[in-house]
Amino acid sequence: MSLVYRLLNRPSRLFGAAAIFTFLLIGTAAHAQVDEAEYGAGEKLFKANCGSCHKPDKDMTGPAVAGAKERWDGKGDVHAWIKDSQGYIKSGNAHAKQLFEDHNKIVMPPQPLTDAEIDQVLYYADNFATVNAKKAPAKEAPAAGTAEPAVTWPWWLVIGALFWIVLFSLGGVRKQLANAVREKQGLPPEKDLNTWGRIRRWASRNKGWASVVVLLFVVWMTVLLWNWMFNIGVYGGEKNAHYKPSQPIAFDHSLHAGKDNLAINCQYCHSGASKSRHAGIPSANVCMNCHQAISEGPKTGTEEIAKIYAAVGWDPGTMKYSGEQKPIKWNKVHNLPDHVYFNHSQHVAVAKLECQQCHGPVDTEMDQVQQWSPLTMRWCLDCHNTTEVKVAGSDNGYYQEVHRRLTETPMGRRELKKYLEDEKITVRELGGFECAKCHY
Amino acid sequence: MSSTKRYWQDLSELEPASTPVKTAAEEFNEPMPLDQVLADGGIAGSTTSRRDFLKFLGFSVGAAALAACEAPVIKSIPYVNKPEEITPGVANWYASTYYDGEDFASVLVKTREGRPIHVQGNPRFGVNRNPATGRSAVNARINSSVLSLYDSERLAGPMEVTDGNPSQRSWEQADKAIGDALAKASAAGKRIVLLTGTVISPSIQEAIKVFKAKHGLNISTGDPAVSATVGGAVDHVQYDPVSYAGIASANLKTYGKWAFPSYDLTKADVVVGIGADFLSNWGSTTENTWQYTSRRRPEDATTARPMSRHWQFEARMSMTGANADRRVAVRPSQIPQVVLALHDAVASATGNSGAGKGQLPEGIAAAAAQCAKELLAAKGKSVVMCGVNEEGIQVLVNSINTMLGNYGSTIDIRNESPFFRGNDAAMAQLVKDLNAGTVGAILIHGTNPAYTLPNAEEFKAGIKKTDLSVCFNSHADETASLCNWITPDHHWLESWGDFNPKAGTFALAQPTISPLFDTRQWGESLLKWSGVGQDWHTFVQTVFKGISTASWDQCLHDGTFPGNAMATEPTAFTADLADAARRATDGVKEGEWEVEVYTTEALASGLHANNPWLQELPDPITKVTWDNYVSISPEDLSTLTGKSFKQLYIGQESPAQVLKVTVNGVAMELPAVMSPGQAPKTISVALGYGRGANGERVGRAACLRNPDGSPAPVGQNAYPWSALRGNTMRYEAYDASVEPTGRTYAIALTQTQMTGMDRGSIVKETTFTVWALNKPEEYNPPHTLAVHEDVNKDGKIDARDQVPATSINLWADHPIEEVGHRWGMSIDLNACIGCGACITACNSENNISVVGKDEVRRSREMHWMRIDRYYTSDTHEDTEGLSWAGKLAAMERPSADPTVIFIPMMCQHCNHAPCETVCPVAATTHSEEGLNMMAYNRCIGTRYCANNCPYKVRRFNWFNYVTEDFGQVNPAWDELGRMVLNPDVVVRSRGVMEKCTLCVQRIQEGKLEAKKQGRPVKDGDIQTACSAACGYGAIVFGDLNDAGSQVRSGRDNPRGYEMLEEIGTQPNVNYLVKVRNSSEGDNHQA
Repeated sequence: MSLVYRLLNRPSRLFGAAAIFTFLLIGTAAHAQVDEAEYGAGEKLFKANCGSCHKPDKDMTGPAVAGAKERWDGKGDVHAWIKDSQGYIKSGNAHAKQLFEDHNKIVMPPQPLTDAEIDQVLYYADNFATVNAKKAPAKEAPAAGTAEPAVTWPWWLVIGALFWIVLFSLGGVRKQLANAVREKQGLPPEKDLNTWGRIRRWASRNKGWASVVVLLFVVWMTVLLWNWMFNIGVYGGEKNAHYKPSQPIAFDHSLHAGKDNLAINCQYCHSGASKSRHAGIPSANVCMNCHQAISEGPKTGTEEIAKIYAAVGWDPGTMKYSGEQKPIKWNKVHNLPDHVYFNHSQHVAVAKLECQQCHGPVDTEMDQVQQWSPLTMRWCLDCHNTTEVKVAGSDNGYYQEVHRRLTETPMGRRELKKYLEDEKITVRELGGFECAKCHY
Repeated sequence: MSSTKRYWQDLSELEPASTPVKTAAEEFNEPMPLDQVLADGGIAGSTTSRRDFLKFLGFSVGAAALAACEAPVIKSIPYVNKPEEITPGVANWYASTYYDGEDFASVLVKTREGRPIHVQGNPRFGVNRNPATGRSAVNARINSSVLSLYDSERLAGPMEVTDGNPSQRSWEQADKAIGDALAKASAAGKRIVLLTGTVISPSIQEAIKVFKAKHGLNISTGDPAVSATVGGAVDHVQYDPVSYAGIASANLKTYGKWAFPSYDLTKADVVVGIGADFLSNWGSTTENTWQYTSRRRPEDATTARPMSRHWQFEARMSMTGANADRRVAVRPSQIPQVVLALHDAVASATGNSGAGKGQLPEGIAAAAAQCAKELLAAKGKSVVMCGVNEEGIQVLVNSINTMLGNYGSTIDIRNESPFFRGNDAAMAQLVKDLNAGTVGAILIHGTNPAYTLPNAEEFKAGIKKTDLSVCFNSHADETASLCNWITPDHHWLESWGDFNPKAGTFALAQPTISPLFDTRQWGESLLKWSGVGQDWHTFVQTVFKGISTASWDQCLHDGTFPGNAMATEPTAFTADLADAARRATDGVKEGEWEVEVYTTEALASGLHANNPWLQELPDPITKVTWDNYVSISPEDLSTLTGKSFKQLYIGQESPAQVLKVTVNGVAMELPAVMSPGQAPKTISVALGYGRGANGERVGRAACLRNPDGSPAPVGQNAYPWSALRGNTMRYEAYDASVEPTGRTYAIALTQTQMTGMDRGSIVKETTFTVWALNKPEEYNPPHTLAVHEDVNKDGKIDARDQVPATSINLWADHPIEEVGHRWGMSIDLNACIGCGACITACNSENNISVVGKDEVRRSREMHWMRIDRYYTSDTHEDTEGLSWAGKLAAMERPSADPTVIFIPMMCQHCNHAPCETVCPVAATTHSEEGLNMMAYNRCIGTRYCANNCPYKVRRFNWFNYVTEDFGQVNPAWDELGRMVLNPDVVVRSRGVMEKCTLCVQRIQEGKLEAKKQGRPVKDGDIQTACSAACGYGAIVFGDLNDAGSQVRSGRDNPRGYEMLEEIGTQPNVNYLVKVRNSSEGDNHQA
């Protein structure tokens, strides 16, 4: 009520509001002018036939499609050009020839489209900017982080406070009762000592118990210190902070690998994982397999992708490599000490583990990669101790031979019996606990 | 019985009271260097009180704990554009070819992320490969050469030298200056000389033609004896630092060819070497070795192809002599007589005309007669090789081989070897011409005459008189630093190349790394200066297309390709034998002291002096590292110095006696090392040492630096003791004077600490005759121990109740037999020639630190494997009439002419390992696959394990060798040298123990590969570095649980024995008894 009142009393503000309203109205009206069906059909055709080389509003391998009709106006037949560009050049059209030469003589293959379909594509391209300006009013705030784990400590505080209140009240009651008793017996009331004084009094009266308490306290602190020291320099796992270094490029794993997003297989980029001891940080040329065409991302726009271009020396304007390369200095996330030999391919190609088993939900939760598992020797051995290796009936000839030696020789059968005490053959039993498997 | 022979490792063992015997029971023959450690920190002299010390301690512990809380941020930089063939973490292997003018081999180069880190023989192609076994031989010099790639003293680019100071120029500047100077010389009608080692590359030959066509008339006559004397043109003079011109010249006389013959020892039933160290340093050693060893396994012997019989006549106990069935020590002056005696015996038996009788002492004459008899019994299947570089002797040797019908079978002169074309006469003429000022320009590649010529001073003076001198050497070495320009060639691992190592065979070399420095292949430089702008890669391809129609890619992949060979029929032999006999003995007279200079297994002519791995490789016989020395017989040294054997012992605190030797008027003072088997009153000194004595930058390790920066050359240069006599360079002198100086010099020997003497389970040797009886209990009796049980059922428990030592077991068995893998090794002492290629291969594979002379002297060398050398004597344990002590002393008495046995020794991977039980922190444990594992990061350095190891194979890191203190010798210190490290193996730090792992990184890699391919591990898939380096099958590695494996058959061989089996360690390494093709009398000179 008061708002309307104030607005009515402030003409200038009213004018502003009216202006905004009008602007919005016009905007909506402009949007309304786009023929949804025509636009949709065009979009579909564009994505199916043109998208790998063209963008509606920007130059890529080929020029931006928007405005093509105007550009061709009076210079030739845009339909014929799109249907068979080389044929049209041969027919002698000067503009066609010029266009071909301007775009590095990249041949556009003939497109099996009808005139009507081409019009739909062009309609889509011409209206692309308008529609998208509406669709993306602002960058969405980044998705809220993962749900916080249930916070329980305030409740504990409350409970603790209540406990102390009860304790103090009871103490007070006890003291008053005791004093009442003493008064009745004709004794002076108890000396009013502070807490520390009372503790000392108790300790001097119960020396044995006091020593036990002090001893227990020292042992407890030592254990705490000892356990704390085990975690020095350890990241990851349930107890420690996850190491999450900043990176020179804000590469988002969940965007690239997440199954709701691009769902690119991990080993498309980390191709060493099945072949080598190192999974490998992909070289920038691997990025360029896609990013030659994709210069703009949904979150950071062109800013981060431009860093790849700078590294490989790619000029997105001319679509050419300059030859100037600048390696990207990533910050290594998963660090093993030098005296540990770890081989990815053993775990990926032979044991067929999922990457996520050790690296955590990189694909779903990590926009910036963090060290998920602690990578301590205990962590390695815990897994080796419990993981079963399928030896009997394995389709791997190596393990078939292991099985043969275990079953066809007396010594082997004796060993097999020992192995099977827990009803499975674990990595440990096949040597996964031995020093020289990882340290040499 | 031969198996009861006694072996000793060092003469000092003959003196039971000597230091090494006393300390033999200890792993390290000196206590921990506590004083030195303390002195480093200056603690001993400081005034810090105990309280202050505790404060500092507390503070530093706190600070260290705080610092440890923060993990450092590690950068990781991937390729921008990853080459398709590289997967980081996976090795790539490339076929290539090694040739340096002395050694040739087809090799495989292992690269990691673009860095070559290991070289081994090509198991599929090449002349150095045994086609029957697929094993390929490389020697220590070849597999170590990967390290010289990363020598930080290599020149960084073309250098112009003015007044002895090199300054770097661009290639454009160099090309312009050199091109102009060449044009000037050419226009002035002055001679242009191209001085190279022996060229066996078709492309280089082609490039030289192009160069000749541009800069002068090509009037080379094809006869190298003449070419150097033709003036006014471009002359190509080939010069070998260690010459074979005598042989080439003899072949020119007898067969009309200036050439070194091609030998085929696989066809030789009888091999006679006369002063020719053909397994180590004479001829095409990479071929000789596999061919020789292919006839040395008794199991392979048949009636048609018996085990070969090897005679060796020589002055110094060479590695080849150590392998001989019958070795005869002769003085250099007696060698012509031995040849004459053989010639006479063979001629009279075959009805040919003789050339006079040899005059020899009775013993040697009898040996020569016996040798001739055996040669005659193997006509057409024998070979006589002589190392004396003199035409007359070589004509006689050719004559012997001709009479025996060996041409066409064991020797091929029709398809001659392309190696060793050097011409000493032409070189001598060149030095004269240089001094006469008739040479306008000289271009030098691959040789170092300012170091290797006896008249180096003349050469140095002469080269100053040329208008232009250009050197292609990679260092500013003795020769290069004298030239106007140094235009460094690539290292061979950076080079393209083609080679014609044998008639009908070609080999290709390809780069395995981009050039590290701004160098250029010398062939390309020649082309450039001839006005041809082609790069070398294209040029080699063009030449290739002219030779072969095969696919370039395929040939490059294989590393070799075939051409056409001529039929191997004998060629007509013509010779003036009387003239030859006259030449052979001309100027040869018995002197009081005779001298021979020789090349060593490690450094050869001195080309490899910059390689620390090779400097630290012990000599096969004397086990000396980092020095050259006078090799002298013990009796002679004892007489000369008036000292007993005990006093002559060389050890950490016992330096060697220094002798002053004068030859050709050149005196040198060198330490003396006793070498039993050295011919009496004869001394031998190695070439190849004493590089960079004038401060030239000849490469790391070749010449160390004193703290003040002055050069401290390794050893001394003995080339001045060689001399040109007649038309050939001679390496022996008959009139030396040797006198004691009374001074001493510390020298570093490895492996003098152990006594193998009284224990027949270390060395077992027998003869072929005994072996052929097929009674292993005769030559390979098991060790037995008396037990407190009535074993023989005679009702009494006494010493006769013996059971085999291996049947007694203190521990529970490790469950490794029949289960999973059981990695093991079988070492055939018959195939081991003692070359040491396995040691350097191990160095390269396992990042083994080089520790330098001083540390080696303190028995702190880090080699994971060694080759023990034992001398034998014929004194037996059952010698009658001596007291117990007297018997021991008698057994230890040296024979003047012992035989030698080599035993490769590394961690035996005992199933009941004594080291494992004493480790307080379980840093060394046993694996289910039979390996004795060593976890470095668990080790706290108590050294209990080393003390408890009966094989003395554990090595302790006394210092952090990757520090500046060891920077001069340890390649891992500088940035460049570090590139040779194998990234799959940790570099160990101070305070931890290390030892042979059986190349566990290769085992793991091989298993993983099998798993990935879903198949069992195939025998031969996994090779340790040493077994892959051994082209002779002496070291066989594999899975003992694989019934069909080679190592299993080695284990089950009746010759097999376990080292020290009586102590029950149950090693996974076993040895095969050495079988010599000798009879009982062979060990003595009759």
